[in-house]
Amino acid sequence: MSESVAMAEGLGARSEPSPFGIPSRKLTMWLFIASDAITFGAVLFGYSYLRVGTPDWPRPFQFSPSIVNAMVMTAVLLTSSLTMLCAVSAAKAGQKASSLKWLGATVLLGIVFAVMHLREWFHMFSEGWSLSRNPLGGPVAFGATFFSITGLHLLHVISGVIALVIVGLGFQVGKLDEYHVETTGLYWHFVDLVWMFVFPLLYLMNAAK
Amino acid sequence: MSETVVNHEPKTGLYVGVWVGLLCIAGLEVFLTYRGLSTRALLASLLTLAVIESAIGLLYFMHLKFERRVMMWSILISIIFVLLMMNQIWPDAYRMTKIGLR
Repeated sequence: MSESVAMAEGLGARSEPSPFGIPSRKLTMWLFIASDAITFGAVLFGYSYLRVGTPDWPRPFQFSPSIVNAMVMTAVLLTSSLTMLCAVSAAKAGQKASSLKWLGATVLLGIVFAVMHLREWFHMFSEGWSLSRNPLGGPVAFGATFFSITGLHLLHVISGVIALVIVGLGFQVGKLDEYHVETTGLYWHFVDLVWMFVFPLLYLMNAAK
Repeated sequence: MSETVVNHEPKTGLYVGVWVGLLCIAGLEVFLTYRGLSTRALLASLLTLAVIESAIGLLYFMHLKFERRVMMWSILISIIFVLLMMNQIWPDAYRMTKIGLR
């Protein structure tokens, strides 16, 4: 479409280059990520507020199994970001089969992370922890903040796995392109990035001495 | 539709190097946790490492390093500004400690 035709049809914006040098859908994902980062920032600040303002805050996590489990979960999530990068690179190089293979690996790692997280939750439930119960007899805010924040993160992981499956299927049949894979990858990396704060603040800062 | 797209795809080796670096930082965080630091020193160390990790993730995994500068700063400045503004909660959190709220 020439510029003059575009202007005549009122489609000038469509012929203009993006000021950010990225497709609109990618910019939209970045805006979502910015707002979600602020959401996680707010809940982590809320947790920190309670942590600072509560003198006898519990430190329930033993090195084994809790911290070891969280370390493995961290490695799994970081590895899933690497497989996601491979999926995007392959998609951009036009290697659809390879991209789908890496997307599958990312989905699998996401499921492993979610299963490990749920297993840890059920272990804590069996010890008496809940949103409103502290089996150690201290403040109950620990359970409320821990399950809320890790739950919000887990919800993002599960949503990401579902999104990856949908995008992968759409990419396989040709309904979606490599930019959809890249945009979904941005979201997946963000989920990984949030964990980089959840792991030290919620697990390591609450490790039993 | 004609959208001008800047595309710089780094090599896989760079990604693997960043991945190994992030795993090492996570390992360092665990190491510091059991070094017997005071709560304040541990928090400062862990937060510094988490910020470094997230910066590396943003720049390399999320490709902000390879986007236009205007794109990078438009996103980062707004997030950093809001997060800095949230720091006004601390005086009240310390007040709770002083008056002994449980």
